[in-house]
Amino acid sequence: MDWLKEQFKKEEWSPYVAGAVLGVVGILAVLLSDSLLGASGAFENLAGTIGQTTAPKLFDNLYFNYVMPPGLTWSGILLIGVFLGGMLGAWSSRTWKLRLNSDEQWKQVFGPSWPKRWLLAFLGAIVLEIGAGIAGGCTSGLAISGGMLLAPAAFIFIGAMFASGIATAWLVYGRRY
Amino acid sequence: MTGNLIALVLGLFFGLSLQKAGLTKYHKIVNVFRFTDFAVLKFMMTTLIVSMAGLYTLKWMGLITFPGVPATYIAGNVIGGLIFGVGMAFSGYCPGTCVAGSGEGKLDYLIPGLLGFTTGAAIYGLIYPSLFPKISAIANMGSIIIPDLWNLNSALVIIFFSLLSLFLFYLIDRARMQRQDKMTE
Repeated sequence: MDWLKEQFKKEEWSPYVAGAVLGVVGILAVLLSDSLLGASGAFENLAGTIGQTTAPKLFDNLYFNYVMPPGLTWSGILLIGVFLGGMLGAWSSRTWKLRLNSDEQWKQVFGPSWPKRWLLAFLGAIVLEIGAGIAGGCTSGLAISGGMLLAPAAFIFIGAMFASGIATAWLVYGRRY
Repeated sequence: MTGNLIALVLGLFFGLSLQKAGLTKYHKIVNVFRFTDFAVLKFMMTTLIVSMAGLYTLKWMGLITFPGVPATYIAGNVIGGLIFGVGMAFSGYCPGTCVAGSGEGKLDYLIPGLLGFTTGAAIYGLIYPSLFPKISAIANMGSIIIPDLWNLNSALVIIFFSLLSLFLFYLIDRARMQRQDKMTE
């Protein structure tokens, strides 16, 4: 029990251990809820909810009515849990802190400006969500959840994601690569 | 109600595992693309080995049936993946790690991240009717799995994937140790 407490207080676990924990979570999701883990889908439900209340005519289409209908879904609740899990992880290692610009490496490369970080992060998030939509899921919903069922789509996605991630990082970091 | 509680608890451990692996940090995500930190790769492949082995065993025992397998439509999976990688390298997160990072008090995750995903989802949903049917029609194999596609034994596929991953982990960790040796010399 003390050992467990010690582990819990650690800021970082071995990626092998943390990865195995997520593997068990993925199994339990199928066993207990007949569901797959995912993250990008809940934002599509959320966008539909907001869109259909603010601009009902515009958002009255095939996608928001049938493919990803508005409302709080199983994966929406899962994401609330993910948020709380991140909070618990940071609290347990006493690293919870409000920060405008959270990463030292980012500051070294792009400078200390947080609005610049927010702008790049915002644009990046838009691109991420559109990519996930086209591919049929994100790192969790397609790469992990599809991969664990041995769906070819997952491995194709992982390959493409690494290829363009490596190319983009190379362009952004240039000689600092 | 129990379903919701299960989702919440599973989500909690999902977020905890991402946070403890350090994947809620910009540099962890970006550095896997720069070949300087392989935590993302190690994490993902370990998750896959554990969940593949567990799920196929449970299925073999007749305790579960698989929920809808994510569809394979090669052009869409590739194009979506390419776009996704660009976003990941720029923002340093993916949707799941951004939500977990938001819980840590990182405002550059909470505000531009969650707003960006919602905006992206709105844009995607609006262009979906004119875009998705065309892309998903190219090389569409539906909800197929590798063992059925190539007529292979699923246990063999999982063992092969596990051995391949372990070999990759070995190469990565050996390279890192050699680098450390050089530094101490």
